[in-house]
Amino acid sequence: MHEIIVHSVPGKYKQRKGRKEMSKSLKQNLVVYGMVMPAFLVVMLTVAYPIVSAVIQSFQDSATGAFTLDNYMYFFTDEAQKSNLAYTLYIVIVTVVVAIVVAYLLALYLRFVKSRIAKAIGMLYLLPRFVPAMCAVYAMITIIRDTGLINRIGQLFGVNINLGMMYHASGIITMNLWFNIPFAAMMIAAGLGGIPDSIIEAASDVGAGKIKIFTSMILPLSIKDVIVAATFVFMSNVSSFTTPYLMGGNSPRMLGIALYDQFNRYLEYNRSAALSVIMFLICSVSAGVYIYTNLKENDWEK
Amino acid sequence: MKKIRAKSIAAALMAGVMLFGLAGCGAGDSSSGENTSSDNTITIWATGSDNVRQVYETLVDDFNTNSDYAGEYTAELQFMLSGTGTQSLTDMLVAAQQAGQTDTDYDLVDLGGDDLSNVVSRIGEDAFVKIDDSKIPNAEGIGAESTVATDYVQPYRGTTVVLAYDSEKVPNPPTTMDELVEWMEQNPGRFAYNAPGTGGAGDSFARTSVYNFLPEEAMTSDDTSWEEQWDEGFEFLKEIHQYMYSSGGSIVYPNKNQGTLDLLNQGEIDMCANWADMVLSQRAAGTLKDTIKITQIEPAFTGSLQSLAIPTFGSNEDGAYAFIDYMLSDDAQEILVKDMAAIPLVDTSDLDMTGFEDILNLDVNNFRIMSIGDLGTDFNQRWDSEIGTLN
Repeated sequence: MHEIIVHSVPGKYKQRKGRKEMSKSLKQNLVVYGMVMPAFLVVMLTVAYPIVSAVIQSFQDSATGAFTLDNYMYFFTDEAQKSNLAYTLYIVIVTVVVAIVVAYLLALYLRFVKSRIAKAIGMLYLLPRFVPAMCAVYAMITIIRDTGLINRIGQLFGVNINLGMMYHASGIITMNLWFNIPFAAMMIAAGLGGIPDSIIEAASDVGAGKIKIFTSMILPLSIKDVIVAATFVFMSNVSSFTTPYLMGGNSPRMLGIALYDQFNRYLEYNRSAALSVIMFLICSVSAGVYIYTNLKENDWEK
Repeated sequence: MKKIRAKSIAAALMAGVMLFGLAGCGAGDSSSGENTSSDNTITIWATGSDNVRQVYETLVDDFNTNSDYAGEYTAELQFMLSGTGTQSLTDMLVAAQQAGQTDTDYDLVDLGGDDLSNVVSRIGEDAFVKIDDSKIPNAEGIGAESTVATDYVQPYRGTTVVLAYDSEKVPNPPTTMDELVEWMEQNPGRFAYNAPGTGGAGDSFARTSVYNFLPEEAMTSDDTSWEEQWDEGFEFLKEIHQYMYSSGGSIVYPNKNQGTLDLLNQGEIDMCANWADMVLSQRAAGTLKDTIKITQIEPAFTGSLQSLAIPTFGSNEDGAYAFIDYMLSDDAQEILVKDMAAIPLVDTSDLDMTGFEDILNLDVNNFRIMSIGDLGTDFNQRWDSEIGTLN
């Protein structure tokens, strides 16, 4: 070591520079790790650890703690639980499809129609985001229940309208749409806002019709936002609680309520853990779609 | 690079939010048991819904300013709202007792129903001072007794599940369970009880329906062998299922006591099982129609007594007795009637019962009290799988 330093000046210089660089980058790294560490520890402690322990619990027998698949089998063999699962998927999928279609139409209208009404709607449609969920659900109940506002208006004209939406899937879906259409429209509108008028004008200049412009310009440019909005709507509804608790019937129930029953009413903690994992897996399907869409877009940007 | 930065900002924000959250949780602990009070302060611990907090604040205020004990003692309230996820009062008492603490602020605690049987089964009735009636002059003539730890707690108010009905549509309410069933058959879809496990009224209806077929001693037993005799009762619940309230083409048992009460108030049903205090206080507040009345049937739905107990590890026994005595005074009982439609335990002839006359027909001494412990969980599970899934 000593010899090298004496005999080779350029080498010495190089080495010194290397050392300096190393210690500098090490220092930098330490600072970075130091800054990330509190957040990392908090996340590990409050998110990662509970997830790991829940997954472990879901494979344990409640009495002996031995390994078992019974907790999972229960949800796929018990009749009531199977119908809960199907019911949840039915409500969520209908919600996603209807919410996205309506939200897309609304976003298109807001983007391309320039009128006072469009402006007014553009401001009003965000209002539901500021209404507390509980108030919104009770407001909806007072309107759609069999003795609610709609029924009373009907009675003024001598008709007895019983919607039968309370304690029924249709009521929950209606409420979900109320929450999710503005949310999805907001996300899609942001995407549509990024499409410059110039390309649409250019397309129509070369003779493209409205439908052609939509299918070959607007739709491909906004499809990513549509899918992202759909995944968000899907995930938030799989585990919803307030709406199905206040508006749903006794059987079948949505998974959020089924989980509450297992955990709070039956005190079956291992089954609760298994159901949580099942719900997590359902959500991760849509999370997968979300990640895939994002990656694909990066590909296209190259 | 941009993404990484956005990510780390998000992570930092998340950490901040979480730390705040943790700090928020920690802040609740400031009132743990160590005794910090002087001799004339009585610390009273209670838990429940917000209406319990309101009535206790009024009572403590009245005790400190207007009662016979004003000036002699100062009462302080420590109230824990139920269902907010904090450590429950029962856990705190058990912890203090098991940690061997002797000189705590738990001078007087308000317990009843499941909380009381829970505490007694965990630390025993000996954890409370045996009530010396001579120190509670107002207790003279009060017949109501707690079924759990009878000699160690002093009941001060009661409430019971009753049949709530719209008197406009049901001029002659049923007086027995058989008449009620007959009425249901004639008026299908006009009765409801809330799903057991979502509120005490539904629990009471379903459980008494089943336990009406069992010997009386089963009502206060948590022996699992009684479960074998539930079959007949569950058959009964299945039979009446078809006459229950329906919406959207299927029979529905609403969630929560308030669920059925709302249906009754909206006129979607004419009768439901509900808590007397809930019905009467909401009627007094004007949120329920005046035509809604209450009645008890035979055999009765279950009721419960709320009691006060003095932990042996508290630090102001004399003060605690003073507050118990105050709670059984006419003034305090009247506040309980007016503010929460509680059933008073004292002679009502000296109380102003205007607006709460219905209470006079409910006799606390004949309360049917039920405590089946962990069987309740099995009961709810069986109800959910056998009755809740019927269509």
